[in-house]
Amino acid sequence: MLIPHPILGSRDAREFTYLGDVRLVDRPDPTGPDAEAAFCDYVFLRDNPAGVHRELWFHEQGDRSCLVVTRSTITHDILGAELARDFALARKRGGE
Amino acid sequence: MTDLTAFTALGAAQPRLASFEALDIRENPELALASLALRRGSIRPAPFGLHLPEPGRWVAGQGVAAFWVGPDQWMIEAEGRAEENFAADLKQASPDCTVTEQTDGWIVFEIVSRSGRAPLEELLSKLVNIDLADFELGRATRTGLEDMSCFVIRRNETHVAVMGARSFAGSLWHALETAVSRLQT
Repeated sequence: MLIPHPILGSRDAREFTYLGDVRLVDRPDPTGPDAEAAFCDYVFLRDNPAGVHRELWFHEQGDRSCLVVTRSTITHDILGAELARDFALARKRGGE
Repeated sequence: MTDLTAFTALGAAQPRLASFEALDIRENPELALASLALRRGSIRPAPFGLHLPEPGRWVAGQGVAAFWVGPDQWMIEAEGRAEENFAADLKQASPDCTVTEQTDGWIVFEIVSRSGRAPLEELLSKLVNIDLADFELGRATRTGLEDMSCFVIRRNETHVAVMGARSFAGSLWHALETAVSRLQT
């Protein structure tokens, strides 16, 4: 499987470590009123979609960047990849 | 001061060298290394006149060289200066950046071919998952080599450097030596 790294081009998936669902980027506010329940969901609850899934991949044997990879869990097609940093910054800007 | 005997990463007084039909592998303990990272908003410096390379690339200057290791991050090499405080010199040359001494964290093996690029590329094709059609002079990348994370640098047509963590120097040497010896059968 090849992952289209936005900086380095196509790279072997074996260079990467899978970190999990992209919702891990949205860490709840630990000082919020419902922090305990929010963290319970954050840590334990995941969707299990058949189809398009966004997930975090860490380029461990590479440039050590974290990517958001969009992948179909049905066909295993990789539909895109972007730097998690860009993804998180765009989210932050969009939320403000 | 206590009289201590310096050993290389492979535990000998002298750097190890293995010669095969077409390829030599040489342990290079003389290479000073320091990493250089830009801080947010800082301007890309040109330490010692080096034009810091783009992703996946390596450039050489006068006695120094640099390769890209990550976004806004490079490793700077200085041949023959492992015994000096090279990181301090680099910090002086690029005061706005974060500089970290790396020399003793890494083991560097220089692999040189005596009969053109073919044996070198045959070796790389067995060891690392790199597209060799695109791995010309001046390319450098980090990848896995027998489950060890290594930098592979194309110094010229017939010369490649493999750089791994010092703690697995012996395993990396074994992997390279075994693969080279099997090329000849």
